[in-house]
Amino acid sequence: MLKDISLKTVAILATVAVLTVALAATVRAADDATGDPVQAQIDHGKATYASKCSHCHGPNLMNSGTITPDLRAFPDDRTRFVTTVKNGKNNRMPPWGDILNDDEISNLWAFISSRRKP
Amino acid sequence: MKRFAMAASLVMLASTYANAQTSEQLVKGATDTSNVLNYGMGYNLQRFSSLNQINKDTVKNLVPVWNYSFNDDRSEESQPLVYQGVIYVTSHNATMAVDAKTGKQIWKSKVEYPAETPRIVCCGIINRGAALYDGKVIRTTLDANVIALDAKDGKELWRQKAADIKEGYSMTVAPLVADGVVITGISGAEFGTRGFIDGWDPATGKHLWRTHSIPSPDEPGGDTWKGDTWKLGGGSTWITGSYDPELNTVYWGIGNPGPFNSAVRPGDNLYTCSVLAMDPKTGKIKWHYQFSPNNPFDYDSVAEMVLADMNVEGKPTKVLMDANRNGFFYVLDRTNGKLLAANPYVKVNWATGIDMKTGRPIETDVSKDARDGKKVTVYPSILGGKNWEPMSFNPQTGIAYANTLSFGGKYKSEPVTFKQGEWYLGMDLTDPWEFGDGARGHLKAIDPMTGKAKWEAPADIPRFSGVLSTAGGVVFTGALTGEFEAFDADTGKKLWQFQTGSGIEGQPVTWQQDGVQYVAVTSGYGGVYSLFSGDERLAKVPPGGSLWVFAVKQ
Repeated sequence: MLKDISLKTVAILATVAVLTVALAATVRAADDATGDPVQAQIDHGKATYASKCSHCHGPNLMNSGTITPDLRAFPDDRTRFVTTVKNGKNNRMPPWGDILNDDEISNLWAFISSRRKP
Repeated sequence: MKRFAMAASLVMLASTYANAQTSEQLVKGATDTSNVLNYGMGYNLQRFSSLNQINKDTVKNLVPVWNYSFNDDRSEESQPLVYQGVIYVTSHNATMAVDAKTGKQIWKSKVEYPAETPRIVCCGIINRGAALYDGKVIRTTLDANVIALDAKDGKELWRQKAADIKEGYSMTVAPLVADGVVITGISGAEFGTRGFIDGWDPATGKHLWRTHSIPSPDEPGGDTWKGDTWKLGGGSTWITGSYDPELNTVYWGIGNPGPFNSAVRPGDNLYTCSVLAMDPKTGKIKWHYQFSPNNPFDYDSVAEMVLADMNVEGKPTKVLMDANRNGFFYVLDRTNGKLLAANPYVKVNWATGIDMKTGRPIETDVSKDARDGKKVTVYPSILGGKNWEPMSFNPQTGIAYANTLSFGGKYKSEPVTFKQGEWYLGMDLTDPWEFGDGARGHLKAIDPMTGKAKWEAPADIPRFSGVLSTAGGVVFTGALTGEFEAFDADTGKKLWQFQTGSGIEGQPVTWQQDGVQYVAVTSGYGGVYSLFSGDERLAKVPPGGSLWVFAVKQ
């Protein structure tokens, strides 16, 4: 019984997930065409990434993930991302809080979220 | 009592001097088989050893003697030095002295730098090694300091700040000590800096001279820049120069212009993508040769300028050799900078050849279109036909062994604005490679005068390790997938390999101690290819720095 419910729940969740992805894709397509602010954020974040991040995390986020984190696999955790970018981490990731403002970091997050590996 | 103390201090003084190696020893470094005293295994940077205990027959019995952990997982590109049974090796965050026979640490001296530093380091967190002189271990730091440590205990003796990271400068170069002067270069051409080479007093660290790699408008060559472009003109100097003691001349390669977008900086842009012949005491430029004027493709020319005495058209000639990033293998007369040969050693499409009279490249439409802002496919790519990884030259066979790159790139310039301490490129880096299907790199045995390969050993993931050749007929190098490899110098057949646990970007060296020939190399990757190529096959290669030493099993 327990098993049945679980399977049913999983099925429902999966359906919801598929629908959400489909919906998101539709919205994204619409954003592209209309110059939606979300896309503008992603574009801005992409430019910031190219000038500040790509020399360690790889052009266009392409990275094997061994030397520096593969940001396409960064968890969906905005707080952790913002904190790490601002303060740096483990004496490896340098701090950017004195160079990047909150909007720029938000835009970076939008870009990186848009490229997350499924 | 007083007399006794004086005598004791005299004895101490004498023993200090007996242990401290000298200028004379550095001059003889290339033939000193019991030590490794110079970057490049000799002032000529030939990376050749006359030792032959490890040879084509015995190399199959090569086994590890010990492994020493750096407790670090950045790129380990340091060339070990060996003096009187002690190995001196560096990483970005430490300098280490290790007993050569046992692998036991003698001392380890930490290197600290501001957390912001990696913001202005373009291509990997790296240090390429130290210089030994008069009882001191002299090295550079990522935050652009030059420091001298006591070789006995690693204590810091002096420190000099060469430049400011806030302005985009950093240092990875192994210093050169020539004619009693410590000479260092600088990194940062991707951040709108103006490059230079410095001379320091080894005893005190006193700054002796600075020669800028980009002349100001009132200096010779200043007219090759328009307006203020020289101020951000790049021209890094991040690989150690060679030195000819007889001519008392240092040969130092100069890097790419900044920004990559060449429309921003019309003119030849001296001395970018050039070699400078310099006086070590004063830094004065004796002559220069520019490989790639007004270059858009990052054909940086910092890589090793190898010195040899060769027969050219039947005449014994003092030459300088350079497997240039632009895809041509150059041979120059090092007494005057005259061009003797320049032939492609990899696929090249940006130029059809080099004009032997003027020394200038004969450019194709690929170069013209790139300067006009059109998207082009260029061979070699911005990583070059060979990147920084040093080749070896065997003076007995006259062959150069180099890890070459066999892919092209997509290039399109884009507008760029300068902001201090930030990336200043002017190139679209979204999709910069044209890899093709074949091997991305080859270890090649190259005839310097023709550029033609006698043999080549392919690598799907290109090698970024230095090369060592020996009189035993063996060529050593390493793979980014971790294998330390030995090849037959005559045929290119792989004779032996050993998995070191991480990718190799190190610089193998060899020496003999108590009748045993040793080979050492660092393992641990994280350099330019792993950061920029997007080669996801490397996801299976763990990072992790260490030093390996091998010998033939008795």
